[in-house]
Amino acid sequence: MLQIDHLYKNYGKFRAVNDLSLHIPKGDLFGFVGPNGAGKTTTIRMVCGLMLPSAGTIVINGVNVSTCQREIKKQIGYVPDFFGVYDNLKVREYMDFYGSMYRMNSREIARISEDLLELVNLSDKKEAFVDTLSRGMKQRLCVARALIHNPALLVLDEPNSGLDPRARVEMKELLLNLKGMGKTIVISSHILSELSEMCNSIGIMDHGNLVASGSIEDVMEGVLGSNQLIITLDEGHETAVRIVNEHAKVKLDSVGEHELKLSHNMTKQEIAKMIGMMIENDVVVTGFHKQEGNLETLFMRVTGDSEAQEGGKEHVAESNC
Amino acid sequence: MWLNPIVKKDVKVQSRSMKICWGVFAYELILALVFFLAMVIIQQESRYSLDNIYSSMVWLYPVLAVTQIVILGVVVPVRTASSISGEKERQTFDIMMTTSMTPFSIIAGKVTTAIVQSMLFVLASMPVMALSFIIGGMSWAYLFWFLGMAFLVSFFAASIGILCSALCKKSISAVIMSYGFYLVFFIVTILPLIIYEIIEVSVYSSVQTNSISEWLSLFLLLNPIMYVVEFFAHVMAGESVAAAMLDSLSATQSQGVLHFIASGYVWLIVSTILFLVVSVLFLYLAAKRINPVGRHKK
Repeated sequence: MLQIDHLYKNYGKFRAVNDLSLHIPKGDLFGFVGPNGAGKTTTIRMVCGLMLPSAGTIVINGVNVSTCQREIKKQIGYVPDFFGVYDNLKVREYMDFYGSMYRMNSREIARISEDLLELVNLSDKKEAFVDTLSRGMKQRLCVARALIHNPALLVLDEPNSGLDPRARVEMKELLLNLKGMGKTIVISSHILSELSEMCNSIGIMDHGNLVASGSIEDVMEGVLGSNQLIITLDEGHETAVRIVNEHAKVKLDSVGEHELKLSHNMTKQEIAKMIGMMIENDVVVTGFHKQEGNLETLFMRVTGDSEAQEGGKEHVAESNC
Repeated sequence: MWLNPIVKKDVKVQSRSMKICWGVFAYELILALVFFLAMVIIQQESRYSLDNIYSSMVWLYPVLAVTQIVILGVVVPVRTASSISGEKERQTFDIMMTTSMTPFSIIAGKVTTAIVQSMLFVLASMPVMALSFIIGGMSWAYLFWFLGMAFLVSFFAASIGILCSALCKKSISAVIMSYGFYLVFFIVTILPLIIYEIIEVSVYSSVQTNSISEWLSLFLLLNPIMYVVEFFAHVMAGESVAAAMLDSLSATQSQGVLHFIASGYVWLIVSTILFLVVSVLFLYLAAKRINPVGRHKK
């Protein structure tokens, strides 16, 4: 469905997107994750044909975005991060306006609008003025608007930003509904817990690079430190830190008064062996528990790696002193 | 019939706003005030003249027409300067660009909206304009001349406003830039002639008549003030200011192209064509500017 190959975008000397390659199959709900300035919006804008890449290709349903602008517009429904409204325009007229922009006839627009407004739960607001709707309703209307021409790919840039929890839940349900209908959706968001519930695959961007991508489970498994282990201890902090640092598959996240937080990709046997080694070396281990990785920890691990590492080492150094 | 959806939407949105009512009200009020002021002046003048007061009333027409053209010239760029930048500020521009509308159809929609709006103002002014026709004894042809002129002014002003709107991110910058463009047309078109004449005066101590002055005067074909003056000189007196000017600048009778341009309505026709070409060029540049593919392609 969406194939991105060696995509680059430069703003003068600054490289906003660096050698991004990605494949999103039909029917996928793909989550774009990354800190501010990572290059998510730039990528999304290039996918929607709002910006030309400096190099690389984007192909949607076999159509090249850079060369077939007119054709690509029929394939994409775009929901930006900010919902702009026209004062004095009713919901029905809003849908009618965008339908006409795709050169649809009024009968067709009326029929499809009816269905879409029902889908986004706004049927009873048809005659209401758009600027009187709540933010959540506006965002749902924006999704309905983006679907008016039945695009193959729906692209949403931070659709949940500024929404209250209820509106977020409604938006999530709507997207899951669309996913169930077989729509291919690309969504960028900062709300990772929701993404992990909705998406079947993710791409993590940082400083213009796609640092990880694939199904959430695969990415978790592939990235070092996606699983956390917390070891509580009474004595022998220094020895425990030394043993942890000697282990290749472990990264020390933080050292507390009575606990060590580790990120690892060890097997159960390897964990048992490491704990055993600590006990043999007179570390008083009072307990340990494994914490399953989630998207937040994965995100922090991948995007904040260098900073976290430096912070962690300082922490360890202080403890040692 | 397919109607540009931008025109349909913009006209609908604007007609629901009170701004348009207040706009028409202010427009009518200004015209009414100008009308009565002109009436008072004509009456005062005729008190000490042997001429019939009704023969002077004919001047109500150019007074009202010029007032309207000045208002349109001032108002249209303000309204159109926010047409594209306003969409950018509302963040609806990107959505618009992802639809099947081409950049040129978006620009065409915006310029049509501006002209429709101007024509609404002009039509709303008809009762006031009619007074000058009743009292002044003008013919229908003058009315159509005026409507044509109002259309041209709206189109030209709208194209400047839309180009500036496409160039700027903020509406306020676009408005300022639009007036800057106007200034360029008012000043730059007359500047070469003035500079040349000043240099001649400083060298020869008097204005010399030669072909360079004549050719430089052709820049005035794109001067809006010259256009309005030429238009009303023709309509009211059947004279050509351009012909008189070229005669005064040339040592002998104007020859060839210059002679042709100064004859009859040719100056007005050429000037009209040039203004239309410049307007279309501005709209083309605006469309190119808003096109993400056209803008970034190297």
